[in-house]
Amino acid sequence: MTDTTISGAAAAPKLQTSGLHKKFGALEALRDINITVQRGEFISVVGPSGCGKTTLLRMVAGLEPITSGSVMLDGRALSGPGSDRGFVFQNDNLLPWRTVLQNALIGPEVAGRISPDIRKRTVALLKLVGLDGFEDYHPRQLSGGMRQRVNLARALAIDPQVLLMDEPFSALDAQTREIMQTELMRIWEEGRKTVLFVTHQIDEAVFLSDRVLVLARRPGRLQESVEIKLPRPRALGIKRTPEFIAYVDHIWRLIEEDVRASVIEERG
Amino acid sequence: MWESFRQNHLAGILSVVGGLLVWEFVSRFLIANALFLAAPTQIAYAIYELSLSGQLERHITISAAEFALGYVIASVIGVAIGFGMAANARFKQAMQPWISGLYATPTIALAPLFILWLGIGIWSKVLVVIFLVLFPVTINTEAGLRTTSERLVEMLRSFGATPRQIFFKVSLPSAFPFILAGLKLGIGRGLIGVVVAELFGARAGLGQLISQAADAFNMPELFAGVVVLAIAGIVMTSGFSWIEKKLVPWTRD
Repeated sequence: MTDTTISGAAAAPKLQTSGLHKKFGALEALRDINITVQRGEFISVVGPSGCGKTTLLRMVAGLEPITSGSVMLDGRALSGPGSDRGFVFQNDNLLPWRTVLQNALIGPEVAGRISPDIRKRTVALLKLVGLDGFEDYHPRQLSGGMRQRVNLARALAIDPQVLLMDEPFSALDAQTREIMQTELMRIWEEGRKTVLFVTHQIDEAVFLSDRVLVLARRPGRLQESVEIKLPRPRALGIKRTPEFIAYVDHIWRLIEEDVRASVIEERG
Repeated sequence: MWESFRQNHLAGILSVVGGLLVWEFVSRFLIANALFLAAPTQIAYAIYELSLSGQLERHITISAAEFALGYVIASVIGVAIGFGMAANARFKQAMQPWISGLYATPTIALAPLFILWLGIGIWSKVLVVIFLVLFPVTINTEAGLRTTSERLVEMLRSFGATPRQIFFKVSLPSAFPFILAGLKLGIGRGLIGVVVAELFGARAGLGQLISQAADAFNMPELFAGVVVLAIAGIVMTSGFSWIEKKLVPWTRD
């Protein structure tokens, strides 16, 4: 990917947060978050529960007000949601009265951009995420994994510059989750969108990402940025290699203390 | 085919047929007094005679008109008030005590008063129906709009949707099953309203037929009125359920 940075302008980060703060009343949720994401980079954010990783993602999406600091896309500050970012939700949030295709088309529809061309492209997207032939099904007729595929296609249908994913596979069973991880990799390789992916699963983060950002809690702050130098495209087998395990081990040790603390807190 | 029929309907049909046979037997041989009870066959004959003479049609037309007018007016007003309450907190605060109070009150007791005010014609009955149907429709509409899933609203917001788009694409469709449930509840209440109001005084209508038959100790005609009402209730409610299934299939599970 380094060969795409030819001119100085192309080297400017796609997405950047500077001095991002978040307070919920007296509680300091996030402190001074500075993240830089290059075009086409797949970045994951991991951390124990309560570290503010979802809040961070929601602030980037414009769904959560920013206490101070800024989020910038291509160097210009963002305020509020926009069709330049596609959000993939933890719960699929599909509209139960709409078909798969109608659900996937909600973004263009809201933007007033429905056309035969967009329809054709969205049908192709559904095919890309593995839902060929399911266009006219309703969400209640789909499995959890299939619903998350619609969730992803819906975000991709607006052709966003950045894809924001909030623990999209956390509600799925272990086998389905692994399948969805490889599916996501396959889809991502097709377009190499810039992705910010939040998860609490370290192996998921390592498997998918170019870089893993590790957050500490109380207050949520950036602890380390771990570059994942594993070859692409990646298959599930890579999870058994010593390199992969070393990455997972390293990240686990970074957050172990915090995770233990958060588990005890949840119990108490 | 036979198997699915047997699974789903056979027990119900047998129970109804058995019940009618017992009823017929009891009223013909055990009670055997036409002043107290009419047998199903006598009721069927009374319905036949009433429809031959054109009386049944006249009563049904009047009652149906009263019901339809009251029901439609109440539905329109009820949905409108429900929307108003969901849209404006002050309006909701102002309306809430009235709605809760009148919903809990057996407003059917006001029927004699309405007859004094509006006379013995159809409008006093229409008013009773309005009072009975209005509140479940209002309450359900408001509740349906209020309980829109926050997560779905947020999903739409992530695409930059305006409040107007959120209302039409999420709030309204998710309130729709609630509104339909309110309208369905209104059918039974409206039918009760028509009949009871007619019992208090009317020139025609199924309630008037029943009260007139009771005065004359004409049990077959009395039961004829009740049976026609029961059929109307069953047909309308199950018809409504069928429409519901077509319109809001996602609420089935």
